[in-house]
Amino acid sequence: MKFDALTEEHLDALREVSNIGVAHAATALSQLIGRSISLSVPKVLLTDIAKVPEAFGGAEKIVVGIYLQMLGDARGNILIVLPRESALKLLSRLLPREKSEGVLLSELEISALKEVGNILASAYLNALGTLMRKTLIPSVPVLSFDMAGAVIDYVLIELGEVGDVALMVETDFFGEEEKINGQFFLLPDPESLKIILSAIGVKL
Amino acid sequence: MAFTPSVLVTYGLGSCVGIALYDPVALTGGLAHTLLPAPVRDVEGVQRSAKYTCWAVELMVEELLKCGCASDRLVAKLAGGATMFEPRYRTTHGGIGERNLAAAKAALDQCGIPLVAEDTGEDYGRSLEFSTATGVITVRALQRPLKQI
Repeated sequence: MKFDALTEEHLDALREVSNIGVAHAATALSQLIGRSISLSVPKVLLTDIAKVPEAFGGAEKIVVGIYLQMLGDARGNILIVLPRESALKLLSRLLPREKSEGVLLSELEISALKEVGNILASAYLNALGTLMRKTLIPSVPVLSFDMAGAVIDYVLIELGEVGDVALMVETDFFGEEEKINGQFFLLPDPESLKIILSAIGVKL
Repeated sequence: MAFTPSVLVTYGLGSCVGIALYDPVALTGGLAHTLLPAPVRDVEGVQRSAKYTCWAVELMVEELLKCGCASDRLVAKLAGGATMFEPRYRTTHGGIGERNLAAAKAALDQCGIPLVAEDTGEDYGRSLEFSTATGVITVRALQRPLKQI
């Protein structure tokens, strides 16, 4: 299914299921760090691939990207992007933190952030899968700490094979006391989009 | 595509490749930021687009010749083509950075343009500033010294 063929009704349905998915993910995250986490209503965007880095605050912004594949009955990519400062705040809630030297992350910190990504994606896919009555499984997470443009081109490359447009489901999450924010992106494969939409009962 | 004095930039190259072509006599150059080696699936109506490495060189050469460059004076520099995540997913993505670099080199060969410098591979993102006055590319990366090629 081509992304340009999506109607407003399709986008609404995707927004709704994503809302449920990210709500579960946020609950999981707030239990993990013992702080309440708020969410924005998900935005469902069709974006020109070349403009996607702007959605992350510019191609050169330093971010932590945690990438997983959505596997099972529908396939796609999940990318969780945390600005550097938010990733460090999250880590200080999770690890008895020795002040890490310099800008780079330690092995332990990388591992902890991957686990956060795993928990968020699993909660999201569980909710989405239950709703769809399909099995959705996240792959093992991988992490990259670099310029936003470089972190996400990996995901966009695959989309670039089928068109110039990316479908992004984007949610901001943020802590109430401390400013922890991040973005959750689901980029379904074009073929899987049809599976998702028909599973949630949207006429194609 | 730009005449001197200009600086062409591209930010946050990961596994994408930056291809710079330069005519040191005309002081004119072009910089492409390509995503994919070549169209791999049968996509309807694939257009010759500079997002594909295989076509970017050809398209740039056409433009540069229109701008008064001579094809036998053109030289090339490459940057990018990194492996951003651990190579666990190499099977699905097929080492896209490496494939992009290979496609870029093949395309340069085909057009008979010598590759004079490169800063490629490894596992970090790069931003490029390509000066058409000097033909020098300044490569910026996180936590690494500036590099000029």
